[in-house]
Amino acid sequence: MGRYINKAAALFAVGAIALTGCSATAATSGGDESLTFVCSPQEDWCQVVAAEFTKASGIKANYVRLSGGEAVARLTAAGENPEFDAWFGGGADGHIAAEEVGLIEKFVPENAAKIPEEYKDPDGFWTGIYSGALSFCSNTDVLDKIGVSAPESWDDLLDPKLKKNIAMAHPGTSGTAYQAVWTQVMLNDGNQDAAIDYFTKMHSNVLQYSKSGSAPGQMAGRGEVGVGVIFAQDCQKFINEGFTQLKTTFPKEGATFEVGAVSLIKNAKHPEAAKKFIEWTLTAEAQDLAATVGSFSVPTNPDAVITDDMVDTSTLKQLTGDIREMGQARNELTSRFDREVAPAPKS
Amino acid sequence: MTIPLLDSPATGRGRASTPGGNVRKKRAQDPSVIILTTIVCAILLMIIGFPLFGLLSSAFAPKGLEVLGRMVTDPVNHRILGNTLLLGLVVGVTGTLVGFLFAYAQVKVKFRGKRALHLLAMIPIVAPPFAVATAVITLFGRNGAVTNGIFGWQADIYGLPGLTIVLSLSFFPVAYMNIRGMLESLDPSLDEAAAGLGAGKLRVFFTVTIPMLVPGLAGSFLLLFVESIADLANPLVLGGDYTVLASRAYLAVTGEFNMQAGAAYSLTLMLPALCVFLVQRYWVSRKSVVSVTGKPAGTTELISAPIIRVPILILVGFLAALIVSIYATVLAGGFMKVPGVNNTFTLAHYQFVLNGLGSKAMVDTTILALIAAPIAGIMGMLIGWLVVRKLKRASGLIDFVGMLGLAVPGTVLGIGYLITYNTPVNIFGLQVFPALAGGSAILAGAVAIVMVYVARSLPSGQRAAVSALQQIHPAIEEASTSLGADSATTFRKVTLPLIQSALLTGLTFAFARSMTTLSPIIFLTTPGIKIMTSQILAEVDSGRFGNAFAYCTVLIGIVLIVILILNIIIRKVVFRGQSHRR
Repeated sequence: MGRYINKAAALFAVGAIALTGCSATAATSGGDESLTFVCSPQEDWCQVVAAEFTKASGIKANYVRLSGGEAVARLTAAGENPEFDAWFGGGADGHIAAEEVGLIEKFVPENAAKIPEEYKDPDGFWTGIYSGALSFCSNTDVLDKIGVSAPESWDDLLDPKLKKNIAMAHPGTSGTAYQAVWTQVMLNDGNQDAAIDYFTKMHSNVLQYSKSGSAPGQMAGRGEVGVGVIFAQDCQKFINEGFTQLKTTFPKEGATFEVGAVSLIKNAKHPEAAKKFIEWTLTAEAQDLAATVGSFSVPTNPDAVITDDMVDTSTLKQLTGDIREMGQARNELTSRFDREVAPAPKS
Repeated sequence: MTIPLLDSPATGRGRASTPGGNVRKKRAQDPSVIILTTIVCAILLMIIGFPLFGLLSSAFAPKGLEVLGRMVTDPVNHRILGNTLLLGLVVGVTGTLVGFLFAYAQVKVKFRGKRALHLLAMIPIVAPPFAVATAVITLFGRNGAVTNGIFGWQADIYGLPGLTIVLSLSFFPVAYMNIRGMLESLDPSLDEAAAGLGAGKLRVFFTVTIPMLVPGLAGSFLLLFVESIADLANPLVLGGDYTVLASRAYLAVTGEFNMQAGAAYSLTLMLPALCVFLVQRYWVSRKSVVSVTGKPAGTTELISAPIIRVPILILVGFLAALIVSIYATVLAGGFMKVPGVNNTFTLAHYQFVLNGLGSKAMVDTTILALIAAPIAGIMGMLIGWLVVRKLKRASGLIDFVGMLGLAVPGTVLGIGYLITYNTPVNIFGLQVFPALAGGSAILAGAVAIVMVYVARSLPSGQRAAVSALQQIHPAIEEASTSLGADSATTFRKVTLPLIQSALLTGLTFAFARSMTTLSPIIFLTTPGIKIMTSQILAEVDSGRFGNAFAYCTVLIGIVLIVILILNIIIRKVVFRGQSHRR
């Protein structure tokens, strides 16, 4: 009889402890001997960055991996009491969105002097640590079967032979896809209608608008589609992971490029450590780490090593636009995309 | 919000109309019921009420209102809403049907290999996010090993067809467990009576068996409906152009940086859930399906008539083969260099998972899930019992709030937790508890993760308890009460052993669900706690499917071992083999 009482009591006790939380207080580390940062690139890059920074500075670094949108949501939810001190990586658009709601502290690092203008915020809220070029990631097996060569221009994507053989992310969820939309706007001298018109034409060739930016690369790799519109470094990553039939090509008209940024969080608990961290991420040594873990975006520090797996940006036509203007047009353009392009029937 | 809940036992007086009505009056004054109700309500408020309230109220902020307004006017939103409802209905029906087929074959049909079939039906409860969808693409996609490799057919599974396959197969086990429990408690004398009056097997099946299973079928449908419309990972991978509210809410939060819009979409998502909930409640309440009366019943005669046996076994065999092929792909994928592309054998993925970061994630996740599962299991039983037996007016509200943890997209729940528990909670200037979520919270934010696990996994047990109790005649418990036991004692000593199969369902699902929950966790992981699902996501993101599959296999292994131990403990130790079954 008493057995059951004990069992039930034990279960409730476990519940009670878990729900009320033991009265033990968390160890809040004093001073600036530690820091916690949001990390948006892939996991192993984050790991090596945290470990190497600790080695270089003696400051213990922890991170949580969150994509750009997730990071903004989590920072917004935490509000005045942020759990993070710095934000490493992820497209500048995310950092701009966070800055617009007052989550980012202005900080111009000394090391930013070395970084070219186009990779920096003119207002000093964020600094670029890497950049990525938009590319066509093609599965040569699939393209051979349908008899087309790897696309070399945006017009090649409109070829009817590629029907349902292109994958692109939805510009609403993915900065990568929005780069493609903005590229069309820039190629059409700022005419948004012409850009939407281009995607309406391409629509019949698109199998699905995936949610994550790099998913089209996987789809091309597995032969689900012939071409994925993704960043060159993502395509290269898939090639190195064993999807060897993939091939990267670039549109000859040019494309915009992504800037991965680092920024200081407002009301950070360890601002000094965070500033040291940001300075460190801009050094050539820190930026060289990416290639060691298979991330092939192009470092912004001119002294950093460009490996064979990286894109030689000097051979590409890169469209330099106003990142802030691009961010401001985003909601309008993606909702037009949602209304006018995505729901249309595929011919 | 709490006041009507607490008042209800008393106000429930005299409104009772079921057979147990007169006794209910007496029990209503039982202090233990009031205490238990208070505890249950307090926990529900903490794990679901506060976080949702905080967030959903932002749906009524200007940006959210704008989305709510467009919900009515914009055809794009109509389509999304329509897609969501259609998906819920299709998966609800398909999944319940699959669950029923498996359960019926298991309990009623004569064949060899019942244990194997049972195990097979249980495996999909561990569906790590991305694994099943990715395996399905590898097998049945446009370049799939089966569709293209064997039949040379470029199948287009993106959208509704793919989602239906994956979601039905992932979620049907809960229907299977529910319906199996009910079939086992069915009194065979009813079948015999019908047969004795001259009804054929098929007629017995449609006029006796099926109607007696209504609560189980309806409960399963509700659960599957709710679960499929709130699911995020699968629409992300397989959705194609088929946008549903859950993926739209995610898109609003992570793509447009617009939390209010996300909240507004989630609020819309709760409406269909509420409708289905009300309909099934109304429908079930009109029928009495009591079949466990405490009176001796005969033994079930297994069906060997080919007219029923053959089609059922063929269908079940086909579905079983589908499950086997999908999970075999996941298992094999862990040993291939690049699953589906370069199938060279390698052990590198397991090395990565077992030696790298993976091991800490495994321990952390398992411990947290082990804490959450018993809480969710017992809560589910208590809620079921209060709802069916004890409370009258508030029962619908409590029942629905209990379901909410599953009915809102995980993204929204996660953000709600962060907003509510990131800072210490103060009520009237008094600190009620310290910060529970986020990196600076106590226990590195583990408390919030356990809470979210409970909220997410509570509904399965709750539904199982509700349908099991509707089958049991209140007279059995009344006997205990009239012998002087109070409500709490009766629940523990009479009710709980009677619904042990539901308890087992609840615990099993709670553990499996906790281990595989992803979307709310993204917002709650901290540097101190590593969670397996977010590690899997990281591997998928970086294109290392081999690692992801290896992780999933390890996760499935852990869950199956724990479930096995759980089964033994519950059946052999806690209930000492006592059962109302023959």
